[in-house]
Amino acid sequence: MIAVLGAGNWGTTLADLIASNGHAVRLWTRDPAQRDEVNARRSNEAAVPGLRIAEGVSATSDLGEAVRGAALVVMVIPSRGFREVSSALGEVLAPEQAVLHATKGLERESNARMSEVLLAETCARQIGVLSGPNLAAEIARRKPAGTVVASRFPRVIELARRALSCPRMMVFAGDDVLGVELAGALKNVVAIAAGAATEMDIGENAKALLVTRGLAEVTRLAVTMGANPLTLAGLAGIGDLMVTCASPRSRNHRVGAALARGERLPDILAGLGMVAEGVYAAVAARDLARVHRVEAPLLDGVYRVLYEGTGCEQALRELMTLPAGRDVARFQSAS
Amino acid sequence: MQPGTGWDEAHIASEVVARKVERILRDASGDGGRGLGAVINDTLYHERVRLQGAPDDERTRADGAFHARVRRDLPHATPARQRALVREIVARYVGEITGHFDPRVYRFATRVLPYALSGLMQGFSPSALLGELRGASHLDEHLLLEGEVEGLQGVAALGTVILAPTHSSNLDSLLIGYAIYRMKLPPFLYGAGLNLFSNPLTSFFMHNLGAYTVDRRKADPLYRETLKEYATVALEGGRHNLFFPGGTRSRSGEIESRVKLGLLGAGLAAYRHNLLRGSAARVFVVPCTISYPLVLEAASLVRSFLQETGRSAYVVVEDESSRAQRWVDFLRGIAALDLRVHVRIGRALDPFGDEVDAQGGSLDPRGRPIDPRRYLLRDGAVTEDPARDAEYTRALGRRLVESWRRDSVALPTSALAFALMDVLRRDLAQPDLYRLLRAIGADTPVDTARVEAAVDRLLAELQALERAGGLQLADGLRATDGRGVVDRGLRGLGAYHATPVVERRGAQLVVLDADLLFFYRNRLEGYGLLGAPRLCPAAGPR
Repeated sequence: MIAVLGAGNWGTTLADLIASNGHAVRLWTRDPAQRDEVNARRSNEAAVPGLRIAEGVSATSDLGEAVRGAALVVMVIPSRGFREVSSALGEVLAPEQAVLHATKGLERESNARMSEVLLAETCARQIGVLSGPNLAAEIARRKPAGTVVASRFPRVIELARRALSCPRMMVFAGDDVLGVELAGALKNVVAIAAGAATEMDIGENAKALLVTRGLAEVTRLAVTMGANPLTLAGLAGIGDLMVTCASPRSRNHRVGAALARGERLPDILAGLGMVAEGVYAAVAARDLARVHRVEAPLLDGVYRVLYEGTGCEQALRELMTLPAGRDVARFQSAS
Repeated sequence: MQPGTGWDEAHIASEVVARKVERILRDASGDGGRGLGAVINDTLYHERVRLQGAPDDERTRADGAFHARVRRDLPHATPARQRALVREIVARYVGEITGHFDPRVYRFATRVLPYALSGLMQGFSPSALLGELRGASHLDEHLLLEGEVEGLQGVAALGTVILAPTHSSNLDSLLIGYAIYRMKLPPFLYGAGLNLFSNPLTSFFMHNLGAYTVDRRKADPLYRETLKEYATVALEGGRHNLFFPGGTRSRSGEIESRVKLGLLGAGLAAYRHNLLRGSAARVFVVPCTISYPLVLEAASLVRSFLQETGRSAYVVVEDESSRAQRWVDFLRGIAALDLRVHVRIGRALDPFGDEVDAQGGSLDPRGRPIDPRRYLLRDGAVTEDPARDAEYTRALGRRLVESWRRDSVALPTSALAFALMDVLRRDLAQPDLYRLLRAIGADTPVDTARVEAAVDRLLAELQALERAGGLQLADGLRATDGRGVVDRGLRGLGAYHATPVVERRGAQLVVLDADLLFFYRNRLEGYGLLGAPRLCPAAGPR
């Protein structure tokens, strides 16, 4: 039995995928109407329009009922609500249960990673993170994809593979939890820049420049914090960045495009009606870059466009007139 | 099966040999195994390398003869004979590790030790010590025992304890031995480095402290695994243990930020074995800090730290602590200067790093009771899973480091050194640590008033840190000001070391040993004090 906490579009999609692989899934949602819709009509129209949810999924609004006896608990809760749900999870979780989270964000104020929140709020130790180029809408429509599960515990990877892996989903393994978490959160900031660049119609060259330098900044920051540099070249890094920057469907991309049209942030968020993690991650990126003394002009530029009223044109001009240093860090040969 | 608490020393030793041999046989056979011959050859190889650099003494010759015989036998050994050779090698290691242990002498020494240390401080010659059973009260004035003493006494009655102190000095094990005596706890087993057996004074105590021998020059993985197995079985046998998880003494003076996980994992292994045997006997890990106003061997430690380039192998450095006279001088110095060493006991943890309550029950991070046994369950049964258990031990290591930082006691010597170094760093504006240390000298005096002002700022930060639970302050840093701290700090830093670290000249302070100033300031590294950047290079990868 596998528990999926959170019935948004990604949570619902994952629950459906896991159940399609033949596992019993308990899908937890706070909203009784959503629970009843899943159980009675096999649908969750608000989250994943058109999906017919597999029979193995049973929804519940009782967290204890969802979690009790589950070998694996999959947390798909936005970063803003993550601590609150973790705290409630701490009341019902047992030490032997594995927890996999699929949240690409950092906590506001504390800038904590989601695995750190879990460690602080629950007895969970066997923790992993799921990330990668996974547009929920495509996976819900049974299109093929790949993802990465990172954990220091091989058992967590084994459980996640057993749950998720199938001919339309490849599950790659890793042990760099911090790197995958930071990549997943911070790439959203770069995606906002890519969205703006697309809207501004400054050309593919410029867009590739922005995305690559953005990734270089994310890499520098993540590596300073302890990540494996190659994690950023993997599915959770480049992989996710490609899909987020290429797809106008991505929320962060849409935020960037709206900013470039000169819309104001509160209006954009109201219009989106969903969480765009990059909007918060931009604050975290700026804080972390300062604390760790890492230069990150592009991430900082996105912050200023979001929160300080800097125009996209001006931010771009500033970036283009910065002195250009090395492209990549010097290669340290092993010999 | 029977619970392990009734095991005697002979049983523990034979259990270690039996388990280790069984494991080797299992690992060497089967598809993935590389065969017993390869295992034995590994030992012969590592031991030959070690013996090439070893002094020509009786021990070396005996080891050489043993290896020669094994080497001769190996090429035509039948499988049965190979198994016998493996057993011989392991039994030899176990004999060496446990060779010094004599429980009767241990109990005697535990009673004598405090008087002996007191005697040293009062100025008796080492040879007269053992006959001099005077009151230990003098020592009590200089060794302050603080923190969760009752908590430690409580868990020691509920299960087996691993006491895990910070490690600054070879004096640590003696002081902890005395602290254990004062807390009226039964003896703790302790794995002492072979070098401690070379100084006649420490050798006496090491032979008798319940110490088993750790030879750090033995690189043979089989030896290291046997050591860990010994600690594990001893814990299962109900023997409390003293581990220094940092491995070696902190050479920079900084509180250890990394721990060696190998030995530390013995606690979890013992707990798991207890459960698999049907015993509910628990294992607790109790962090502890030892804060010295002066460190016996500070000079050689910091020099070896500064000389170290990259990840050199462990080198046994001849240092001050190998000479008995230095111990006597040091203890007398502490007494004469009226200084105090703080031994502070932290909150007990379970082998997974969870805090435990007064009844020994494990608590989750939010204080909810949990059953630690369940961390070991897979499909409802307790299992062995090396990758999983190594991660649990890493978490335990992190909790130990956090606890050490919170329970470290800031002292006037470190406060003065930290503030003075910060003033010098700003004045001299050197590009790196090594140039900074070279630039400091008799020709870079600092006005005392400036240092006092810096100490005042530091005191305010330290007091705020203590209120937030981030660090402890010694009495010498309470209800005082910059001037008082500079006076106290100078008393320590000016007197014990061969060259005074800092000296007062008129209205100025002069640093005569920048390396030692660096060593003492490092105790306050990593707390973000005075807005200073990290000066001490972070520990390299392990």
